[in-house]
Amino acid sequence: MNEIIGIILAAVICWLNFVIIDTYFGLPQQPGVKGARLVGEAIKKRNGDIAGGFFQGNVLCSPDASAGTLLAAIGFLVLGIPGGIIAAFFVFIGNRLCADPGYAGTVGCLSATVLIFIFSFVGLTAEMFIVGMVIAILTVQGIDQVRASIVLGKIADKFNRHARE
Amino acid sequence: MFGLVYNAVNPGVYGFANITIGYFDIVLAYIVAIVISVLVALILRVPLLPSKPYRYSFDVSAVYPTPIIAVGILSLFLVLNYTFAYNGLLLAMIIGIFSGVFVKYFFYFVFPSPDMGEDVNE
Repeated sequence: MNEIIGIILAAVICWLNFVIIDTYFGLPQQPGVKGARLVGEAIKKRNGDIAGGFFQGNVLCSPDASAGTLLAAIGFLVLGIPGGIIAAFFVFIGNRLCADPGYAGTVGCLSATVLIFIFSFVGLTAEMFIVGMVIAILTVQGIDQVRASIVLGKIADKFNRHARE
Repeated sequence: MFGLVYNAVNPGVYGFANITIGYFDIVLAYIVAIVISVLVALILRVPLLPSKPYRYSFDVSAVYPTPIIAVGILSLFLVLNYTFAYNGLLLAMIIGIFSGVFVKYFFYFVFPSPDMGEDVNE
């Protein structure tokens, strides 16, 4: 498959994977640590959404499904499916060191491994998923945090996981 | 000596104690590791599910994180191509028993649960 098309497809798949899993496991609902609350309130002060702010703060403060997807792609590139499972194990250890229960990180890592394995038959390689995940996390954290937080807040509303504040 | 190292780290050639095993055996070893770890955890009276609310619970349970630890450690052995006897089944059973015992007795010693101070779980 053409590299550019593959990277765009992989970015879309990674974005859906980590946003859906992180939202389902309640990242927008409450900040896990104080740093996540500070990020959320700073984004709300700039006319953002508080749930999207908590989401971005939680992603920043501990390895969640976003880091899980990236590390699963790297593990799959190096070692195949066992590499993705090893990545899930290490993401779990990292989660516990960051005062996070770790459900989102490990589930995201395992689901990303399954997705990369399935899409490897279509022609999407693990390298495309690494680049795609970097692009996906850039759209959430890098380009425009306020607009991204509004989009994430709408998704959280759909999943009934919006912060009650 | 370098030949020994080469043989130990390269799959498919002679290693220390390995026989290259097929995909079916690998899948079977994963299933055995998951089942044995959950069973050992249940026998040691670890609860099946974490305490409510599930998504924010730091408690260990039989379904999480016991199988994650078991398959993670088993994968480390598999990628090093160290599969031990009976096509990896014995290794899977040992790792399953180890992870059940680890979760019951040593987990909070290695990963202490954050106490409910002001910095976490506001």
